[in-house]
Amino acid sequence: MADTFQLEIVTPTKQVVNERAEYAEIPGKDGYMGILPGHAALLSMLGDGELSYRVGGATNKLRVTGGYLEVRDDHVRVLADKAE
Amino acid sequence: MPSLIDIRRRVRSVRNTQQITKAMKMISAAKLRRAQDRALGARPYREMLRQILENVAAEAAQNPDAAANPLLAVRPERKVLVVVVTADRGLAGGFNSNLLRLAQTFVNENQDKELTFELIGRKGRDYWRRRTRAIRGEHIDVFRDLSYEKTWPIADSIIERFEKQEIDAVYLFVNEFKNVMAPNVTMMRILPVELPKTTAQVDYIYEQPPEELLANLLPHYVRTWLFRALMESVAAEHAARMAAMEAATTNASDMIDKLTRHMNRVRQASITREIIEIVSGAAALE
Repeated sequence: MADTFQLEIVTPTKQVVNERAEYAEIPGKDGYMGILPGHAALLSMLGDGELSYRVGGATNKLRVTGGYLEVRDDHVRVLADKAE
Repeated sequence: MPSLIDIRRRVRSVRNTQQITKAMKMISAAKLRRAQDRALGARPYREMLRQILENVAAEAAQNPDAAANPLLAVRPERKVLVVVVTADRGLAGGFNSNLLRLAQTFVNENQDKELTFELIGRKGRDYWRRRTRAIRGEHIDVFRDLSYEKTWPIADSIIERFEKQEIDAVYLFVNEFKNVMAPNVTMMRILPVELPKTTAQVDYIYEQPPEELLANLLPHYVRTWLFRALMESVAAEHAARMAAMEAATTNASDMIDKLTRHMNRVRQASITREIIEIVSGAAALE
């Protein structure tokens, strides 16, 4: 099984992140979700909060506000109203 | 016959104009590139949103209650909102006038309905102000640093009116950016929302019930749509202005050439005349 997944974080104006990540912790509307490779397909609304993800052992953090989260196949897509 | 000095003055004036049009063309070219990049940058978001909406809509459709979302309600079109997106500035060839013509045609064909207007861009506002009283909203100066946050309230106010059944349908008139040469005037219905058909339904785990997601997604979809339309309009505006200024610069060149040739002829004529005078004067002395 693959040990990374494609993490895409986009806002209405631009693509913020598009890389292979090993782990992501995403603020869903009803609480934080940890996502590892091989996660089942999932749809959720996004809450406000800090999104962190790990690429090559290094953890990156972003503030996201409102939007959607889609997990599907090998892709994790975060559609945020704002991400910075 | 215009004197030499007059012609020279004209040439200088045309040349000045040409300098301006050339500068405007260059500015538009730079702005176009930026606008194009932005429009391109927004594409992934839009695509993904559409995909999600497709799936959620298909999922929610299995539950008949969900199909009753107010933004999907198709009512007989009696009260129609016309949203016209023009530029704030002119000097862009047929950019504004072509769009206004299309909108005017639509208005003429729908005289029997109760039309209201939502105008984005100064040119459209100026046009409709003289023709109608049914203006519900005017938005000027949204194009200079256009942001998602700026278009959000516009979309929301439209959505609200639709939900309250103050309007039955919303049509959007906008210049789409097709290619650099010609903007594409288009009309589209943004409300009620027409759900995109799903191609491949994915079996998601829904963290929230699909109905709730759908209710949240639909307004969002409309907002994104409006935002995209505005961004395209900006790109198309710069493209149109660039083309118009290019044409103007070429025309100015032609005119300078013509005037210069004319000027030379006039000068030659006056020299010839002088020579004839001298020669005939000398001949008279003999």
